[in-house]
Amino acid sequence: MRISRRAFTAGAAAILASTGASAQQQPKKVLNVGMAAQDIGRLDPNYATTTIDLVVVGWMFNGLVRFRPGSMNPETIEPDLAERWQSSPDGKTWTFQLRRGVQFHGGYGEMKAGDVVFSLLRAADPQRSGFAADFRAFDAVEAVDDYTVRLRLKENVPSLLGLVTNYHGGMIVSKRAVEERGERFQREPIGTGPFAYGELRARQSLELVAHEQYFRGRPKLDRISYRFIQSDASRDLAFQNGEIDLMLGRQEQTWADRVKQIPNAAVDVFEPGELSMLHINVTQAPFNDIRVRQAVAHAINREELVRFKGADVSRMPQSVIPMGYLGSAQAPLLPFNQERARALLREAGHPNGLTVRVIHTQLPSMLAGMQVVQSQLRRVGINMEMEVVEHATFHAQIRRNLSPIVHYAAARFPIADTYLTQFFHSRSIVGTPTAVTNFCHTNIADAEIDAARVSTDANEQRRLWGEAQRKLAEQVCAVPMYEGLQVWGRRANLEYGHPLQGSLSLGPMITELTHFK
Amino acid sequence: MGRYILKRLAAAVPTLLAVLTVVFLLVRVVPGDPAQTILGDQATAEALAALRARLGLDRPLHVQYFEFVFAALRGDLGNSLVSGRPIIDEVVAVLPHTIDLTLAALVIGSIFGIPLGIWAAMHRNRFIDYVTRIGSLLGLSFPVFVSGIFLLLVFALHWRWFPVIGTSSSADFGDRMHRLVLPAVNLGLIMAAYITRVTRSAMLQVLGEDYVRTARAKGVPRRVVVWRHALRNALIPVVTVIGLYLGILIGNSVLTEIVFNRPGLGKVIVGALNQRDYPMLQGLLVIYCFLIVVVNIATDLTYGLIDPRVKHA
Repeated sequence: MRISRRAFTAGAAAILASTGASAQQQPKKVLNVGMAAQDIGRLDPNYATTTIDLVVVGWMFNGLVRFRPGSMNPETIEPDLAERWQSSPDGKTWTFQLRRGVQFHGGYGEMKAGDVVFSLLRAADPQRSGFAADFRAFDAVEAVDDYTVRLRLKENVPSLLGLVTNYHGGMIVSKRAVEERGERFQREPIGTGPFAYGELRARQSLELVAHEQYFRGRPKLDRISYRFIQSDASRDLAFQNGEIDLMLGRQEQTWADRVKQIPNAAVDVFEPGELSMLHINVTQAPFNDIRVRQAVAHAINREELVRFKGADVSRMPQSVIPMGYLGSAQAPLLPFNQERARALLREAGHPNGLTVRVIHTQLPSMLAGMQVVQSQLRRVGINMEMEVVEHATFHAQIRRNLSPIVHYAAARFPIADTYLTQFFHSRSIVGTPTAVTNFCHTNIADAEIDAARVSTDANEQRRLWGEAQRKLAEQVCAVPMYEGLQVWGRRANLEYGHPLQGSLSLGPMITELTHFK
Repeated sequence: MGRYILKRLAAAVPTLLAVLTVVFLLVRVVPGDPAQTILGDQATAEALAALRARLGLDRPLHVQYFEFVFAALRGDLGNSLVSGRPIIDEVVAVLPHTIDLTLAALVIGSIFGIPLGIWAAMHRNRFIDYVTRIGSLLGLSFPVFVSGIFLLLVFALHWRWFPVIGTSSSADFGDRMHRLVLPAVNLGLIMAAYITRVTRSAMLQVLGEDYVRTARAKGVPRRVVVWRHALRNALIPVVTVIGLYLGILIGNSVLTEIVFNRPGLGKVIVGALNQRDYPMLQGLLVIYCFLIVVVNIATDLTYGLIDPRVKHA
């Protein structure tokens, strides 16, 4: 049989047209994500601490309540696995009514009160959770019936709903899956979220599949391929080449500007802001003299730092805790004033300036900012010698008080109590048995932090948190420098299904509504 | 030959033990805490202490050491502190990628390096020789992450012949090989530069030998003199260099693995070091040392194939 050229051309055109039409009718159903990682760490919400793990855990689990997708404002907390709740007048007993018919991934059955009790008690157990300290106010968690959970507190907490939200230990796991899977649960967990564990391709990707029985409806995406692409340059090239649709970006203006130039690409910049601060050890000479600390604060030019980092991806801080947290207040930060800095150094007995040796991580994103700080300090006569070490060494050494100034960038649960407690309460002083990250060795705001934590009066609570921030700023226990925001790149036709303003998991929330246009 | 291999493997045991001991002590001397890596920076000192106890890191050093050595002798390298998975599973997952890349780089390096070295030697101090020498010098001095990005820009982004991501979950052999091309070329060209230089100098030495001059005087064609008489003798140092470089390549291809986003032993070793995953690091280095021993034995055996005078007792 012979086919004429004309017939062949017509046929080919018809095939192409039909392919094009079907491609138009069926948008892409697989989301390829590029993450700066070598591999997954632990997907058990109780041990997921790195950005790599947090992002993906956020797509697989639910809490009793949740932050509205795309927001990390505690005021947007809404029902998730619990339909409704009520608290006793003293705020110490909370009762949650669970949704009916919520299914766990992988045929692990319906989520019931037993799973919730198990999950919250597990989160509060230091042997089975890295976040047990957050739950220390729990007195009892009990199942009233299959769909009712009662929670009793030993003392008030700043936000009980914050503890049972879709964040860290608040995520609900399947009791049966944890018991059956043992250590395997760390990598192959079972939750109730819109996406379920599919397959882990060691050192290559984590494959998630749509949870067909998701209680808010089947996700519009069929699959997520979460690819581990360690090199920033390779991730950018893979995005440019169309091999990935969504990627972790860099907190750099030049990066954001470059990605915006790529066709069909958009850049998302969102909360939380990671507050970069110089934590000053107030017990060590010469920084036990407040004038020297004030000199450091006056030497720091925050505007220059924000210009250096980029106006779109960073912002000026306003306090010793990040902006937008419940209880964050405008604190009296010392303004940039080199003359005043020099005068203070003279008054403190350092007319020729001083030399200080600090330990710093080699992480490029942090080191570059610190090099700017180094030059700013030099201008007023403070010679900061940096010993640059790799990141794990940095974390070990700053916890042994080997650096009188510690440059630390962090975001925390968006309630003032968390940040204030971890960085400024005496219970968190490094080197003590209850240490967390108080590198300043200060205790001046303990009373306010403790009182605010158990206060049931929201106005009083805010006043106390504001007072704590004022004291810490006045005593220059830490010098806020800039807040770096989360930066991600995506295909412009990828719709999250919600406006993205913030995400506690540090990555965009991919929900049942996320799709390609 | 079987006895020879067994003897060499037995002789490697003390080396492995020595490496193991040094690594065991070194990783613990370096500051850093695996518990901190796992629990993150918000962990309290209490939580860290609890995890250290659970992982057995609070026990005396000698107890940890002997436990690891005895377990290793039983073939149990333990579990990763970070992932909780058996170390042997982690290695098995990445080793095929490392072997693919190393062998492909070896093939490319040999295919280009040996003929270029011979060609340069035969045209000593002429234009071709100069070009080859400069080319090989460039190959040696170009950092792999720069050449890698350059290859990606040209062949993946501009011409779109290859993907940026150098691995695929697909079982398709063709796809696997397609994705291997750029990383293999990246490493292979550097290897070619090494081999070119060694082959050139070995050939120059052999071409000046009396038996080569005699063969030429007898009227043996130049092609036969070079390929049959000279090359075979010049190959011994070339094989030595290939063997040495292959060993280095297994662990040192980490930058290529990162740029082309491929899993591999080198990347896993660096990751374990950054995370202070002690058992993982110990296990990986034992396996790495074992691979080096195997490569050395293979190199020695190749000598016998090239030169029948070399006997393995």
